[in-house]
Amino acid sequence: MNATLTHDMSVLSLITGASIPVQLVMALLLLASMFSWYYIFLKAFTLRRTAQQTAEFERQFWSGADLNELYQRAVNARESAGSLERIFEAGFREFTKHRREPGADVGALMDSTRRAMRATYQREMDKLESSLSFLASVGSVSPYVGLLGTVWGIMNSFRGLANVGQATLSHVAPGIAEALIATAIGLFAAIPAVVAYNRFAGDVNQLAIRFESFTEEFSNILQRQLH
Amino acid sequence: MTATAFHSRDEALAGGLAFAMHVLFLILLVFGVSWQHKPIETAAVVDLWRDLPTVAPPKTEVEPPAPVKPEPPPPQPRVEAKPPPKPEPAPAVKPDIALKEKLDKERKLKEQAVAENKKRVEEKTREAEIDKKKRAEAEALKKKQAAEADAKRVASEEAKARDALANQQAAASAKVVDEYKRRIIEKVRRFIVLPPNVSDSAQVEFDVVVLPGGEVLGAKLKKSSNSIPAYDAAVERAILKAQPLPLPSDPALMRQFRELNLVFRPKE
Repeated sequence: MNATLTHDMSVLSLITGASIPVQLVMALLLLASMFSWYYIFLKAFTLRRTAQQTAEFERQFWSGADLNELYQRAVNARESAGSLERIFEAGFREFTKHRREPGADVGALMDSTRRAMRATYQREMDKLESSLSFLASVGSVSPYVGLLGTVWGIMNSFRGLANVGQATLSHVAPGIAEALIATAIGLFAAIPAVVAYNRFAGDVNQLAIRFESFTEEFSNILQRQLH
Repeated sequence: MTATAFHSRDEALAGGLAFAMHVLFLILLVFGVSWQHKPIETAAVVDLWRDLPTVAPPKTEVEPPAPVKPEPPPPQPRVEAKPPPKPEPAPAVKPDIALKEKLDKERKLKEQAVAENKKRVEEKTREAEIDKKKRAEAEALKKKQAAEADAKRVASEEAKARDALANQQAAASAKVVDEYKRRIIEKVRRFIVLPPNVSDSAQVEFDVVVLPGGEVLGAKLKKSSNSIPAYDAAVERAILKAQPLPLPSDPALMRQFRELNLVFRPKE
């Protein structure tokens, strides 16, 4: 009598007792969750460091340091340079190269400088935004995948119920609990991914605004040097 | 430190943290969320006992009545059918009519004698048979009586053993009952909030109906303390608050706890 009432309802037994498709769904979700957490941490570190480096470079730049000196430092430490430093370096290199050419047009000079900075900016943004799309898709898809596993599990559970003459809650409950595990894992993967995506997208946006405004201001400074 | 070094360090750190995160969640899930890990306490388990279970009756093993010894074979009837007496060899025939007549006579006599003899023998055997039958009947009767007596003795022994066992159990259970009664009273007393001005001599008696789980179905005031109704009420409240009452785990003893008579005094 007790056999029907005392199913072992620990989480592990629910997972191991699930049917193969449900287990596949669970494995897939677990993998997605693993990767999303990996990218969450990676992005968090990268963005924090980028923000620090940007702040540091802005401080140096606006404290009235010599542009040539800043450029030399950026070239020497290219490997450890931050995104903003690289943008500055690209723009200044283009500017100095063009300026040495005789009879250069001011407008063309400024255009090419801005283009060089724009290109570096795009590249840096691409680097910062990488794998944010992964987080977004995990956040939006994994609940559905989990739901698929659950629906499958419940379907099986009800099909098994057809063989039982008198259905009680104790017949249905284990199957449903088993199936719901898939949804739980899906949500477990999705929630941090969505939260992290929103957070990082905001951070990247902030950085982008900082870079763009710096580009504009730096162009102005260079243009002023020409006169 | 170069950017690539930074990057690879970040990657390793992020991987480790992600893994740690999942281990943490798994631990939380397994140990935190245990759906009905324990079997549901079935709401109503009914044990029907026709009789109190004799808890491992000491093997008094009433010997089965010794099989009645096979009675000695009935004595063989002594009477052996004697072979009919041999006809005497006919005397030499004498060529004499008188003699012949005589002989005839003699022969007749002899034949008569032989017939008589035969008859006697038959009678004897019949008597012997009747006798044998009678004796067998008597024997059977005796046997039957003996068996009955045996059965009676066995029954009485069994009854005695059962009585002894019951007595023994009753003694043991009485001890347990007293122990648990004391515990119940102690538990209830913990919940009594004594109203002021209760004299030490006040005594309250309650009839409490207890369910097998220790829940109190009802507490009826049997003997009030008369002077202070507040004390009666305090004890009743305490009995209800003391649920579940401590009860022995042995279901057999439960019968004695169905209806409890509890006496309370303010100071004890």
